[in-house]
Amino acid sequence: MLDRVRLTYKQQRFETLAVAVVCLGAAALALLASWHLNSVGVPASCLVDGRVPYWNGPMDASWMPAACQLPSQRFTDALTSWDVRIVSSLGDVLPFFVGIAMGTPLVARELEQGTAPLSWALAGARWKWLAGRILAALLLIVPLLLVAGLAADVLRGAQEPGIDPHASFDYFTSRGVFFVLWGVAALMGTVALGTLFGRTMPVVIVALIVCLFARATWERVTDAYVLHGMATLEMPGSSSPGELLVYQSDVLYLDGKLYTGTDCWVSNGVPGCQYAPGDEPGPSSIGPQLAWYVVTGDHYWQVVALESAILLAGSAALGAFALFWVGWRRPY
Amino acid sequence: MTLGGGASTGTAALAAHGLSKRFKKKVALDKVDLEIPVGSVTALVGPNGAGKTTLIRICMAFERPNSGAVEVDGVDPWKHRSEALRRVGYVPQTPAVYRGLSVEDHLSMARSLHSSFDVDYARRRLDQLGIPLDQRADTLSGGQAAQLGLAVALGTRAKVLLLDEPLANLDPLARREFIQVLLDAVKSDGSTALLSSHIVTDVEDACDRLVILGGGKVRLDCPLEEARQAHRLTEADSPPAGATAVGSFLSKGGKDILTLWRLAPGADPSAEPGQQSETASLEDVVLGYLAAGRGVGLQLN
Repeated sequence: MLDRVRLTYKQQRFETLAVAVVCLGAAALALLASWHLNSVGVPASCLVDGRVPYWNGPMDASWMPAACQLPSQRFTDALTSWDVRIVSSLGDVLPFFVGIAMGTPLVARELEQGTAPLSWALAGARWKWLAGRILAALLLIVPLLLVAGLAADVLRGAQEPGIDPHASFDYFTSRGVFFVLWGVAALMGTVALGTLFGRTMPVVIVALIVCLFARATWERVTDAYVLHGMATLEMPGSSSPGELLVYQSDVLYLDGKLYTGTDCWVSNGVPGCQYAPGDEPGPSSIGPQLAWYVVTGDHYWQVVALESAILLAGSAALGAFALFWVGWRRPY
Repeated sequence: MTLGGGASTGTAALAAHGLSKRFKKKVALDKVDLEIPVGSVTALVGPNGAGKTTLIRICMAFERPNSGAVEVDGVDPWKHRSEALRRVGYVPQTPAVYRGLSVEDHLSMARSLHSSFDVDYARRRLDQLGIPLDQRADTLSGGQAAQLGLAVALGTRAKVLLLDEPLANLDPLARREFIQVLLDAVKSDGSTALLSSHIVTDVEDACDRLVILGGGKVRLDCPLEEARQAHRLTEADSPPAGATAVGSFLSKGGKDILTLWRLAPGADPSAEPGQQSETASLEDVVLGYLAAGRGVGLQLN
C-alpha cells in the first residue's frame, strides 16, 4: 500500500508539489496577515461588538474615543490592504483548486494517456485500484487543507479580535474544517467526472462549473432547508439582530417554519405570520417586515457537524459512484 | 473454419463460444468460436479492423460482448474479473508506460497491484536485455518500452499471455528480441500465448498455431505446420487433385492472380503434382483466407 501511495504521488508529482506549496503557502500567508493585524494592538476598550470599528476617516472622530482613533485607522488600513484581502478570499478558491488538481489525474489522465489498461490488467478489481489512488490523494490533501483551514480560522480571529472564530458564523464555511470538506468533495466529484469523461480538459471545466455552483448555492440551501431547528427568532422588524453571532438574515420565521419575505407577502394572512408592531394588516399596512433569523454562536459546532455530515455524505456518494463506474467503463 | 487436429483439445487456455461484439452498426466479432490449447503460442492474424484487438479486450474484460462468452483458463472474465485477470498477462497495443516513473517503479507498481507479481523474475528479464532499472520509462526506446511491457506481463507469472500487436511499432531487431524473450518465457514457464499481428512474417517463426480473423469471423484455426502443408497456390484456376478453392488475390508484382487451394483432408501433399502448384507460404495462406472473407478477387468456391 505504501508503494502505491508513493507511486501515486510520483505519477502526479507536479500536482502533488503544487498542492503542497499552495496549501502551505496559503497557511503561511494567513498567519503572516494575522500577525500583521494583531501587531496593531487595538485596545479591548475600543472594540464594538467584538470588532474593531471601521475607520472612515475624520467623520468617525465625532463618536470614537480619541485613544481609539489611531489604532482603528491602522487596523482598518491593515484589514483593507491587498495582501490581507487576497489571503482572506483564498478560502473560497483553495479547496476546490486542491480537489480538482489532485482528482483530475487519478482517472481521467490515466485514461487519456493510455496507461489505464496496464494498471487495470494488473489490478483485477478496478475499484481497489481506484480506492488506493483516492486514499493516496486524501492522505495528502486532508492534512494540508486542515493546516490551511486552521490558519484561516486564526486570520478570522485576528480580523475580529473580540470574537471567538469557533463561535462565529462569519465566513465559517470558508475556513477551518470546511477547507478539508470542500477539498474532499471537489476531489471526489472530480474523480467521478473522470470516470465518466475519461479526458482531463472536460473534467476540469465541468468540475470548475459544478464547484462554483455548489459553493455559490450552499449557504442559501442549508439556510433554507437544513438549519430550521436551530433558528431562534429575533423581533420582527428589528434593524439588526442585536447579537454578534448573526447567521442569516432576510428570512421570516413563522411558527417555527422559515419563509422568505416574498412567501409571507403572498401568503398575507397565513396563520402564524408575524408582523412588526404597527404593521398589522389594515388599510395603511405595508405588510410584514423582514425578521432576523438567528443561530447563536453556541450552536457553532452543531452547525459545523451537520453541514460537515452533509458534505461528507455527498463526497461519499460521489466516491461510491466513481468506484462503481470505473468497473464498468472502458479503459480508453 | 477449423482444420482437423488442432482445435478442440479439451484443455483450452482460452475459449470463445459464439462471441459477438458490435460497435453501433459495425460488427467486430460475429459468433466467434475459438479454443487456444494450453502451452501453444498462437498467432492471431488479420487485417486492421478484423476484430483481433476486440477479442483480446473482451478476454481482458475491457469490452463487454453482445452475446457469447469467453473463458480464460476456465474463468469467465465478465463474471469473475479478478480471478480471470490473475491468470492473464497482458501487453497492450501501444507500450503504455507512466512518463514520470522509472523502470523499477513500474515493477513496484505491478507488485502493489498484483499479489503474485514476481519482481525478481521481471528484473532478471530486463537485466538480460540491458535495460537500466533506474531509467525513466519515458526515455526508453520503443523496443525497450515494449520489453518493459512484456516484463510486466511475464512477471505476473500468468498462465495465459495476451499480446495485442506488440510488434507493430518495433524495428526488425527489436521485434526479434521481443519474440525471443517471449518464446523463452513461454518455454520455461509452460504458459500459453496469443499474439495478435497484422503482419504475418512477424509471427510465423514464433508461433505453432495460426488463427486467421477476418470480418469478425474465424477464417482458419489450425496448427501452423498444418496450415502450410494443407494449402497449395496456383496461378491458374486449375485445382490440384481433390482441392477446394479458398480465395484468390493478386501476386506481389500485381501481374498475376494467385489462387489458394485447400487440399482434401488426408490427401498426401507429396503426391500432389508439382508442376502447376506450389507450396503456399504462410502469408499466401493468410491472404487467401482474407480474400475469401472479403469476397474480393476471384471467388472460386
